[in-house]
Amino acid sequence: MPKVPGLIKGLGVTFGTLVRTAKEGANTVQYPHEKEAPPIRARGVIALREDNCTACMLCARSCPDWCIYIEGHKQLAPPRRAGGKPRQVNHLDRFDIDYALCMYCGICVEVCPFDALFWSPEYEYSEPRIADLLHDKDKLGEWMETVPEAPELEAGAEKKK
Amino acid sequence: MTVLSDRQQLSYIAAQAADARLNVELETEGMTLNIGPQHPATHGTLRIIAHLDGEQVVWAEPSCGYMHRGYEKLTEVRTFPQVTTLINRIDWLGSFANEVPFILAAEKLMEIEAPPRAQYIRTILFELSRIANVSLFLGDLGVQMGAITPVFLAFRDREYVLNLIEGATGGRFHPNFDRIGGLKDDLPKGWIDETRQVMRKLRGFCDEIEDLLFGNEIFQSRMRGIGVIPADVAKSFGLSGANARASGIDWDLRRDQVLPMAWDKVDFKVWTHPDGDCFARCWIRLQETREATKIVDQLLDDLPPGPVMAKVPRIIKVPAGEAWVATENPLGEMGYYVVSKGDLGPFRVKIRSASFNNISVVPWVLKGVYVPDIITILASLYFILGDIDR
Repeated sequence: MPKVPGLIKGLGVTFGTLVRTAKEGANTVQYPHEKEAPPIRARGVIALREDNCTACMLCARSCPDWCIYIEGHKQLAPPRRAGGKPRQVNHLDRFDIDYALCMYCGICVEVCPFDALFWSPEYEYSEPRIADLLHDKDKLGEWMETVPEAPELEAGAEKKK
Repeated sequence: MTVLSDRQQLSYIAAQAADARLNVELETEGMTLNIGPQHPATHGTLRIIAHLDGEQVVWAEPSCGYMHRGYEKLTEVRTFPQVTTLINRIDWLGSFANEVPFILAAEKLMEIEAPPRAQYIRTILFELSRIANVSLFLGDLGVQMGAITPVFLAFRDREYVLNLIEGATGGRFHPNFDRIGGLKDDLPKGWIDETRQVMRKLRGFCDEIEDLLFGNEIFQSRMRGIGVIPADVAKSFGLSGANARASGIDWDLRRDQVLPMAWDKVDFKVWTHPDGDCFARCWIRLQETREATKIVDQLLDDLPPGPVMAKVPRIIKVPAGEAWVATENPLGEMGYYVVSKGDLGPFRVKIRSASFNNISVVPWVLKGVYVPDIITILASLYFILGDIDR
């Protein structure tokens, strides 16, 4: 059998891809009309459960580019048991994340000791102005609805305590 | 005096004129050609200053630093867990591979070792990022030479790998998945089966690229014998990775050093090529992609059960000392020299990135080549701008 010239062989690959695309459909999707679902673990946006936050500042301090702004104050809450002393609790006044600075590293979510921060795969929150990417705690709280359950782990993995 | 016929006289005049033309020195001037910093063919913001004589390069010099971000300095004001976020962005195409040597250096100082399962998953993700990196190179190679088709095939199949990395780590380009003492999390369910399928697809992709590009006569004539780097020159300029192996240097840090990673548990071939030209460099990378898919398959087969995180304190303080760890990254040898004074963050980090040394050979190799070959040689040397400037 004579040797097939490389050019013809290359055209064969192109033709094969053409046939396959015609049969199975294209690999691309038309974005605004069709959307691909991101994986469960995708780091899209950080959501905040405000009730859990105690304004302890751990996330703000561990952020590599310091894009979390927290303000809080102490206030008295009614006692847990009747007749007890009023408790002192930390109240969160301001929790802003500047998504223009955020590097999406996830360190804040990891260090949070009170389960107040979560990753959501939501990604459609671009803004025409860069200053509008500073989102406050109400906006971060809205994203709580989109937070998925953590995925099951592969066989052989050890359960986290 | 002999009388010449008209015909003889004419030929005499013509011969004299030709003689005169030969004796006149043509006034030529050298030209300086500035490629970049914003040239679409230079992978980013690298500037090449080339002095030309006609179509030939007299001397050329890469001028880098247009994307310098000062990572070595930035790491000094951050804690150890924060540094991995930064160093993800050095070589942005194979970003997981950047984290590993730094984390290994920090673990060496702390004298802890990741559990076996974490080592396996680290190696799998390392090889996946190698595939993601090199498959873009294989597609991009065609574009540099004027062939558009391979880049579409490359982006199609690279997407599968990026989806895998995103599925496991959460980030497509910047995983930030490595922690001192292990990994952030275990693999999600169904990931291993998906990876096996993707590896099969990628072997098909390698065959396609081989048929499409490497067998092509035009491609071969543009590549073979162009930009030859002999082994001793490659050594003296500190070339590493596929560029060194294409010059016949049998040297691979995955095989040649003992690291707490899983490469010693799999068997793979380190390809070398005796030619040292552009074709050899590209061919080595194609073979490496194939080997990487095989490594991933073997590691998935005997993934040990167990935890993925060793016991580490909650607040990580690395004891005082110095450590150097280098690994075989997609672009070549990448190493970190970490100096710690016992604080939360490193005192000093020296980053040895592969691309910086790989482009240092550019003045040598570009001497005397023709202008269209500049881009071919630069493409085959394969550098990432973030990796050069850091």
